[in-house]
Amino acid sequence: MTRESLVDHARALDCIHCGLCLTTCPTYQLTGSETSSPRGRIHLMRAVAEGRAEPDATFEDEMNFCLVCRHCESVCPAGVEFGAMMEFSRGALLERRPPGPLARLARWVGFRGILVRRAGLRLAAVGLRAVQLLRLDAITSPLLGLRGQIFRNLPRVPSARERRPLPPVTEAEGPARGTVLVLDGCVMPELFGRVNRAMADVLAATGREVRSVPKHVCCGALHAHNGELDQAEDLARLTIAQFNEVDDSAPVVIDSAGCGAHMKEYGRLLANDPEWRDRASAFAARVVDLTEELAAPEATARLQERLGDGHGIDGPVTWDDPCHLCHGQGVREQPRHLLDLVPGLERVEMPGADSCCGSAGIYTVLRPEDSLEVLDPKLESLESTGARTLVTANPGCHQQWQIGVGKTGKGVEVLHLAEVLERALKPR
Amino acid sequence: MGSDGKQISRRHLAELERIVGKKGVRADPTARSAYESDAFMLQRASAEVIVLPRTTAEAAAAIKVLREAGLVVVPRGAGTGLSGGARPVENGAIVGTARMRDVLEVNAEDRYARVQAGVVNVHLTAACADAGLFYGPDPSSQTACTIGGNVGNNSGGPHGFKYGSTNRHVLGLTMVDSRGEVIQLGGPGAAGDGDLDLLGPVVGSEGMLGLVTEVTVQLLPRPEKVETLLCLFESLDACCDAVSEMIARRLEPSAIEILDRLTIEAVEASVLRAGYPDNAEAVMLVEVEGGDEEVDATSADVIEVARAFGAFDTRRTTDPAERKRLWAGRKGAFGAMGRIAPDLYVADVVAPRTRLREIVSAATVACRERNLKLANVFHAGDGNLHPNISYDRRDADEVRRVLEAGRIIMEACVAAGGSLTGEHGIGLEKQDEMCLVFSDDDLEAMDQLRAAFDPDAFWNPGKMLPVRGCREIHTRPLPVQAPAAEDAS
Repeated sequence: MTRESLVDHARALDCIHCGLCLTTCPTYQLTGSETSSPRGRIHLMRAVAEGRAEPDATFEDEMNFCLVCRHCESVCPAGVEFGAMMEFSRGALLERRPPGPLARLARWVGFRGILVRRAGLRLAAVGLRAVQLLRLDAITSPLLGLRGQIFRNLPRVPSARERRPLPPVTEAEGPARGTVLVLDGCVMPELFGRVNRAMADVLAATGREVRSVPKHVCCGALHAHNGELDQAEDLARLTIAQFNEVDDSAPVVIDSAGCGAHMKEYGRLLANDPEWRDRASAFAARVVDLTEELAAPEATARLQERLGDGHGIDGPVTWDDPCHLCHGQGVREQPRHLLDLVPGLERVEMPGADSCCGSAGIYTVLRPEDSLEVLDPKLESLESTGARTLVTANPGCHQQWQIGVGKTGKGVEVLHLAEVLERALKPR
Repeated sequence: MGSDGKQISRRHLAELERIVGKKGVRADPTARSAYESDAFMLQRASAEVIVLPRTTAEAAAAIKVLREAGLVVVPRGAGTGLSGGARPVENGAIVGTARMRDVLEVNAEDRYARVQAGVVNVHLTAACADAGLFYGPDPSSQTACTIGGNVGNNSGGPHGFKYGSTNRHVLGLTMVDSRGEVIQLGGPGAAGDGDLDLLGPVVGSEGMLGLVTEVTVQLLPRPEKVETLLCLFESLDACCDAVSEMIARRLEPSAIEILDRLTIEAVEASVLRAGYPDNAEAVMLVEVEGGDEEVDATSADVIEVARAFGAFDTRRTTDPAERKRLWAGRKGAFGAMGRIAPDLYVADVVAPRTRLREIVSAATVACRERNLKLANVFHAGDGNLHPNISYDRRDADEVRRVLEAGRIIMEACVAAGGSLTGEHGIGLEKQDEMCLVFSDDDLEAMDQLRAAFDPDAFWNPGKMLPVRGCREIHTRPLPVQAPAAEDAS
């Protein structure tokens, strides 16, 4: 597998063009165009790899139009690893068709200036909060045209008190069940610090000592998804080293599906690095999603003792599968099972819960119109359930749903699964 | 790639965009190249333009423009066809129905549905589930293929054994003819109203008579009880013989499927792993539907026959989740072959059900002699065999051997009293072999029927009917060696 080739050609060859992926693809649903389907994109990758086509503007647009939701992987009988192929394609595209100077600057600021530095993230959060408090976004948005949509779609930054990171250690409650490491994450503490704290509290309630990794900032998922593979590799090595420094055998629990899916693939990402390959695979094997950790029998037993009906959540709730949880990690039953444990919670299934909401990492910023078009059918689907609360487990999805629900004015509350469980915890 | 065909003018492109919207026209070469084949990968060609209308009216208007532009038209659904029927042709446009996916009407009382041609097969069944109804034909690609495509190929599926192919379910069609006029054939209540029945010729015409844009189909009541049986055999031959015996005993399950060992291995290695055991040389998957007692009695009979023919294990389940898993494995079997080699040739022949074993061994020998990997998966119930030959299209000699083996299998079936295609159509793949079954006179008659609908060869030209005369192909209809013991349909 070489980074130089435009696609991992061998994997493209697993695709025999059967077409079973078509209906799962959000961009095929949107356009009806086979070129914008997984099979079509694999065809394009293969044509370029075999020199039958040029990586032209159409090629680039089709690669970037993809949300990398990986829904196609869940139905592919041949086991084509589409997500990985898309990361390689995007990486190669950056080399073959470098973006213009302005886009390059934006990428540099985003991927190298902000995402990977705590100070950069804090500065961005403070800046954005100032813009939002002063309502500057109302002025700048029209000036920026379509790009101005970005401002309107950016999340509301909570107050400084809300933005504090996790404490290094959260003590276990009751009989101890060992230590887990948790990922604070890059944007999570700035936007969803409360979710991280809810995760730590719930884990502690099941008898886990919860340790965060204060030095750590970013796992590199967004870099990899967008073809910044060199940096993704560096961040993977850094992540492994920093986590292992705190504890080199404890499970690594993640409350952000996109990060979890990516960290579980560190072994593949560093497969060509003989020094890190084995360490990466060993680390990846320790990574679990929060819902997997909590659905384990011992944890569930402890939760059952602690969950009560004082959560104050009225009306039906529905679970929306984050793509990188259900398609990326194959986790489908656990979150539903956990919601069903909560006394007094009525759970309803949402049709198409496992299709993409259009968030897809920074897709909302790069392609705001497409992102919202992908969300539209999901909003209809949500309305058909009559749910008053939508539960998810990924910051991107969380934010996207808040935007969507805000637009419809239906007042549906969007919560992370950890928040639901925390609200339902009875005081000890 | 890169066709030297007629370029469509800017004016015509603009006109098309005006009709179907900008997103409904794909004209640049990179975008068009994704349409260079359907799921039959051996022959590829470039279309001049891809047009994706949303309604019958848009389709009709677009056809008029394409006609004026001097192009011919290949209708296409989801491009999951396995015989090249939806592959572009020279100087041709693709008119796809992928954006025509509205279920227009579900009439629970009169048990019919009217849908746009691009509605995906499973979505139709989902749309009428609340009414306790379902749509009969269930091709293995049903999660992606369209009702319009099913009409074009007269598709069947595992349950074709009980419910028959698409032609038994279509009540009416709306189609655009070669002048761009919209015509109606049949309708929900049209049975026996005295007109000449034109639905018959259109269903299975592989897009050569017009563009089907809306379809009215009958719906069936969901059976009271459904049971799925899994019977495991140590030999494929014994499994085939058991099916022949079930047919002879007139057992009426709704589906009888056989998967051989290589297929089982590919499926079990995939996301669709169905729990087929790895110690079987062949798996028979049977479905029984009906009232409680009827299901119990038929299931018991099926198991008795399977045991008599050496089945070493049998399982029964009525659990919907488990049944779904068992069927998902079967239906993903083609795709799963991607694990074995990059390309797959899916043969689609029909043999009398008393002679399954014979045809299977003919296929095995043909492939062994040519050093080809063969996996068998088939609708044993209605004698529709799908020998799957894995290959790599970059190996020209292997491609030649695959086509040779495919032809030998077809010849064996025809000689045994079977036919060239069960459900995938003739398309490009089996054109020449039409001469194995039909004389020049037969083919001339078919061509006259085609010309009655389409005098200028505007629709999907060069497909299905042999382009060259049979004398030129040096093939004559094969004598049928033994009288068919029974009708294979």
